[in-house]
Amino acid sequence: MGTTQLLFWFLSILAILGAILVVTSKNPVHSVLWLIVVFVAISGHYILLDAQFLAIVNLIVYAGAIMVLFLFVFMLMNLNADTEPQKNRWLKIAGVVTGGALLLVLVAALKKADLKAQMAEMGKGDIGLIHNLGLVLFKDYVVPFEISSVLFLSAMVGVVVIGKKAEEDKTTLGSQKYGG
Amino acid sequence: MWTGIMVPLRQELMVTLILFLLLFIKVGASEYRTGTILRLVNILLLANLVLGFFPCPDATLFNGMFHTGRLIVLEKNILNLGTLIVSLLAYDWLKEHRQALEFYMLLLATLTGFFFMISSGNLLMFYLGLELSTIPLTALSGFDLEKKQSSEAALKFIISSAFSSALLLFGISLLYGATGSLGFDAIPRRLDGSAFQLFAFILLLSGFAFKISVVPFHLWTADVYEGSPVAVTAYLSVISKGAVFFIFIQALYTVFRPLAGNWNRMLILLSVLTMLTGNLFALRQNNLKRLLAFSSITQSGFILAGITGSSRAGDASVIYFILIYIFSNLGAFGVVSLISAQTGRENIDDYKGLYAANPLLSWVMAISLFSLAGIPPTAGFFGKFFLLMAGAGRGNYVFIGIAALNMVIALYYYLRVIKAIFMDSQPQPIGKLKIPLLPNIAFGLCVAGILVTGVMGWVYDYIYSLSIGF
Amino acid sequence: MNQIPLSHILFVSTALFFIGMYGLFTRRNMITMLMAVELILNSVNINFIAFNKYLYPEKLEGVFFSLFIIAIAAAEAAVAIAIIINLYRNLHSIDVEAADEMKF
Repeated sequence: MGTTQLLFWFLSILAILGAILVVTSKNPVHSVLWLIVVFVAISGHYILLDAQFLAIVNLIVYAGAIMVLFLFVFMLMNLNADTEPQKNRWLKIAGVVTGGALLLVLVAALKKADLKAQMAEMGKGDIGLIHNLGLVLFKDYVVPFEISSVLFLSAMVGVVVIGKKAEEDKTTLGSQKYGG
Repeated sequence: MWTGIMVPLRQELMVTLILFLLLFIKVGASEYRTGTILRLVNILLLANLVLGFFPCPDATLFNGMFHTGRLIVLEKNILNLGTLIVSLLAYDWLKEHRQALEFYMLLLATLTGFFFMISSGNLLMFYLGLELSTIPLTALSGFDLEKKQSSEAALKFIISSAFSSALLLFGISLLYGATGSLGFDAIPRRLDGSAFQLFAFILLLSGFAFKISVVPFHLWTADVYEGSPVAVTAYLSVISKGAVFFIFIQALYTVFRPLAGNWNRMLILLSVLTMLTGNLFALRQNNLKRLLAFSSITQSGFILAGITGSSRAGDASVIYFILIYIFSNLGAFGVVSLISAQTGRENIDDYKGLYAANPLLSWVMAISLFSLAGIPPTAGFFGKFFLLMAGAGRGNYVFIGIAALNMVIALYYYLRVIKAIFMDSQPQPIGKLKIPLLPNIAFGLCVAGILVTGVMGWVYDYIYSLSIGF
Repeated sequence: MNQIPLSHILFVSTALFFIGMYGLFTRRNMITMLMAVELILNSVNINFIAFNKYLYPEKLEGVFFSLFIIAIAAAEAAVAIAIIINLYRNLHSIDVEAADEMKF
């Protein structure tokens, strides 16, 4: 077993364990921290798959920005109290059974598709480097790039409108004092 | 060289330009009057609608990522028309709203998203267009900031749409693995109906089903429709649904044509389920917005019945029906919106005796509801008729029989509202309401559309001449 | 010998997908539900990159798709957080069961 395999198994187990802990831990702050572990593990996978730039972006955007945003909201609203994670036991069992059945279907379909024999050399390629990506991004993917800029603009407008506190002269105070 | 890009992209560019103009007004101007801005935006939207009618060559741009043709331009024109009517109807509500400009920015962003989605020739563009329309829409449904219900609707909307996008994306990723391409022209060549591809297709189908509120995935619809501001609900129920139907039918008829045998049966099942569930829940609603929400679920079932025809008639009847549906549903929502903005009342019982003081509103409502129910002189009848004829083209007479039966059930709850308006009375009926000019124009457009579109046969013939099928 | 079969990677991504689904359906905390959605999106990203690397390495379509997914997920999370904050001002809770103004 080479280093790559060792790394792969380690990262996979870390990712799956972390993910399970994200959805089962009672304290939401613990969930966030475990999610960061999952993201780090997945970034490791990306490096193994020669997508180095994506690995860094994944870390910066997910672990760096989104997770910090989540943590910020938890802390700002003082929500780090434990919450009961499950609604009722039957729903949980039903979820596990249907999810498991779907998983089986998918694994069976994958087995039939002759994909499992595919092998590739890991860690031997430069397609994921920023130079190659940049060339393609600004030649073939210019339109999606521009569309996503409009998307960010509209998301920003939406966030500002919704997140802003109502002006005090407009409504009486009361509910606003809890806001972030 | 520039005209080669500008002409096919003119509608998208125009909408984006209006968006940026509004942004500059918001950021730059210290003082502006909301009423003036609203009139300006409506004139610009009208210009945008007119711009779409200039002839446009078929074009495929940016390595096949964007393609356009006469059918797609027609679909965009239909969406433009609907947006203009929504905007006219919203005048009364927006006049008092402090953030009318932001409303339009978000609205136009969603419209751009729909345009790119309909024109997409590539799954990446499709996904981006879909998200560009969904994310601002969720913000719009939370636009009544002080209302609990509105923010609850926004929450339900964003969680369910994030979930549906995730399903859709997982389907797309598996499809990419199975076919090795994201382009709409290359995928069908590699589809052979293996279990793996079918699984990917089912995930994609469920993602779509969420957006068009087909039954197992319809749970968010009623709550979001009820909680959102009425203008947003109207937009959601016609423009958003219509746009997703346009791309859905395009995807089924071109990209997934090799799997037609599989999806045909799935769609028949979904259609029957959707019509029945929508009707059964609509029967017991008291809030008019919820009633219209369930009725719109039922209408989705009828549209699916037309799609199962898999023929040119199927495509044409769906586009024709959506055009009529825009007129009839916006007429109904317009009345609800006006009454809700001026009196805050939305229940069916509140509408008792409406005819005494507001004959005009009552007639608009009645004509719209007749058209939604599909009663002969109105255009709604012709729309449903063509849909069911297209569905019957494959010989599924039992299925079409069930659909016709559902039309009868639907008649009951539409008539209930009409009875409340014209025949019942109550101690405190809604008084005489003032109808401003712009909503009045919108009502005129809707009623004219309902009464005239059905009679003019060339509309359907024109759509039919552009349609796709196999 | 640094080779790993594709099916192993797909298994990881599929497992993440279903863990995310499970979390989405059983958690009541709105922000944790959002985190479950992020898990699902990440499983999609792994799928894209693995397919790109193993099956179709000549073009970069998979890598770009995941790049755009990451970008849009960020926008979506931001809007969702704004909506949750607004709802929290109205309800003083981020438990989904508290959001029950509208019922059948």
